[in-house]
Amino acid sequence: MVSPLFELRHVSLAFGGLKAVDRVDLALPAGGLHGLIGPNGAGKTTVFNLITGIYRPDEGDLRLAGRRLNGLSPHRIAHAGIARTFQNIRIFAQLTVLDNVRVGCHVRARHTMAQAILRTAGHIAGERLIQADARALLDTFGLADHAQELAGSLPHGQQRRLEIARALATHPTLLLLDEPAAGMNPTEKAALKALIRRIRDHYQLAILLIEHDMSLVMDLCEQITVLDYGQVIARGTPPEVQNNPKVIEAYLGEPIPGASANPRAEGATRGNTKNAGTAGTAETRPEDHPGPEGGQG
Amino acid sequence: MHPRDPRSSQFRPGLGGVVLHGAAPLLGIVALALVMDLLVAPLLPEAWYAKVLADIGINIVLAVSLNMVNGFTGQFSIGHAGFMAIGGYTAAAVVYYGSIALWGDAGFHGGYFSYCGLGHFNGPWFGGGDLLFVAACLIGGLVAAVVGVFVGLPSIRLRGDYLAIVTLGFGEIVRILIQQTPGVLPPESAATVPAPGRYLHLGGALGFTNHPFYTTIFWIWLAVGATVLVAWRLRNSTYGRAFLSIREDEIAAAAMGVPILLYKVMAFTFAAFFAGIAGGLFAHQLGSTLNPADLGFAKSFDILIMIVLGGLGSISGAILAAAGLTILPELLRNPPHVWPLLVPVVPIALALLLYRRRRLARGWGILAGGIVLLEIARDLAVAHGVQLSDYRMVFYALSLILVMILRPEGLLGTRELWELWPRKRKGGAGVRASS
Ligand SMILES: Nc1ncnc2c1ncn2[C@@H]1O[C@H](COP(=O)(O)OP(=O)(O)OP(=O)(O)O)[C@@H](O)[C@H]1O
Ligand SMILES: [Mg+2]
Repeated sequence: MVSPLFELRHVSLAFGGLKAVDRVDLALPAGGLHGLIGPNGAGKTTVFNLITGIYRPDEGDLRLAGRRLNGLSPHRIAHAGIARTFQNIRIFAQLTVLDNVRVGCHVRARHTMAQAILRTAGHIAGERLIQADARALLDTFGLADHAQELAGSLPHGQQRRLEIARALATHPTLLLLDEPAAGMNPTEKAALKALIRRIRDHYQLAILLIEHDMSLVMDLCEQITVLDYGQVIARGTPPEVQNNPKVIEAYLGEPIPGASANPRAEGATRGNTKNAGTAGTAETRPEDHPGPEGGQG
Repeated sequence: MHPRDPRSSQFRPGLGGVVLHGAAPLLGIVALALVMDLLVAPLLPEAWYAKVLADIGINIVLAVSLNMVNGFTGQFSIGHAGFMAIGGYTAAAVVYYGSIALWGDAGFHGGYFSYCGLGHFNGPWFGGGDLLFVAACLIGGLVAAVVGVFVGLPSIRLRGDYLAIVTLGFGEIVRILIQQTPGVLPPESAATVPAPGRYLHLGGALGFTNHPFYTTIFWIWLAVGATVLVAWRLRNSTYGRAFLSIREDEIAAAAMGVPILLYKVMAFTFAAFFAGIAGGLFAHQLGSTLNPADLGFAKSFDILIMIVLGGLGSISGAILAAAGLTILPELLRNPPHVWPLLVPVVPIALALLLYRRRRLARGWGILAGGIVLLEIARDLAVAHGVQLSDYRMVFYALSLILVMILRPEGLLGTRELWELWPRKRKGGAGVRASS
């Protein structure tokens, strides 16, 4: 196998006694579209938080293009080329839609703060560059008409798309999408599916996708990794995963001998505590609100 | 990681663009200072009004600078007067002991633009003392900025209330330390104390006295222009947007590559620098006896109130509130007729009604009603011989409470004055979608 763009090797993280992520291995080729699925509380979001430096792994290695990322702070990981969206939307509500995307462009700014205060030619060129890139992204995402609106006033579906646009503005080589379809209606989901494909092909990046909507994952992803209780219980192509008895057991909570049902039918929820399609949007999860000690290592 | 974009050369502006965007506003600042000094100030009927104009300027510098921390990056600093004190005392020491070293006395050595006296001045436009004064203010700003780095550092670990307590403590420590300093050395004996220690003779609790006065409307409004320009340019650049993103959501900002710790500390540094300059200006006003008691937490709260009232993050809001809250207590000393305000307010309300801007029209209508009530109250008080000025701090507090009830997000929210006229937007601005 060619050496992967991004790799998790034996990564673990425990919250007190709870092993949220347990010796997870994961490899993504450049340009790959990889799914990360599992029941609620399986540790998917925690994997994202580990990758983006919000948490440091207890053990294991994170590598992007051969470079070790362990212990880098979140903004350095963004500089290294990893961008993400959040399960609970985290747009900059009081900034305009355009400014949200322009913040994403900040990592690539070459002009200095002194130049910005003196308004030199370098500053003006830099800002025009940012403006052009941001506008182009808004066009791609169908948000150009809303450029000057406050991001917080957008409807839910557009906020999710804006989050993806903002992440792409950093020009990542790896994009992490945490339940991008959550809270979307079927039309929006279909549009999102096309959009994710287009992003991957057009920007030539690798995508790691967390999603509870199984039809979306199965249609989009080339490879899928299934987590349960922090451990990888299965990996492979969508059909392989779909027919894996361990996966079916994890999703249903009890073994079904010899069954090869499509997990999507079960709402992808252990214990049926909540609806899969809107999982995580209605509540505030602790993992998205790390305290001061968790936020900044 | 990211190489220079080849398009950047194609986006480079010509010389005209650089002059227009970069240099022309600098001339605008000087023009503002000249207009204030040569046109506005002489038109004021009494010297007392000039003092208010000066105080407005200093308060604008303080409010706009504090807004960089509290409004841009969303931290909560309530020790701004501490930076003002550091800048003020540094500048006063440099001017006083510098004058003695240079000219052997602590008298006035400036030119026309620094002359604060009331009589006619016949001397040069600029003198050596001006240079010393400007340098002293800049040094005061720089010292405050260095301290600002260290006060900003706890923001890495602390946020919200905890950071507020640290900044409050900082302000009080500065005040108490200054109160412990020995008395100001008279010119004759200044040379007897070796250099570094000499500058620590700051007058203690009695205040710094006998230093020359240089702060005129000109210098103050030059500083106002510079502060507002820097704040404006900072905010309307990729760095300013990064600052704002920290206010909006730290975790998302970091995930977008914004170095939040560095920028938080930088915001403190910038704010401290301009507060230090404001302190230098404050220290050299006519008749100033620089006293640490005037630069305690009461002063910090005054500045904080200005930016909260104006709307955190809004530069024009900070300017308006700083001006308004400086004038208000003065007006209440001897309340004037307020009914002339109806002359602009009523037509505006009617025009809004005509153009079917109902919400706005209602606001202006309430304003007109308030003015009528105030006028009645004033006339009643005057008729019964009640001294309204005795109650002016009550009215001051009441009007603050009123604004905070009617507009909890401050007068302007996070927006600017000229953005208030509503553009046609779908959905209410600022309404967060549930997520
Ligand atoms: N900061 C934290 N402190 C303590 N426990 C946490 C924290 N963050 C997550 N957990 C726990 O770790 C486990 C994994 O959570 P995680 O959010 O990664 O699951 P998930 O797979 O993303 O679930 P969902 O599909 O509901 O989003 C859960 O049991 C969760 O309660
Ligand atoms: Mg999750």
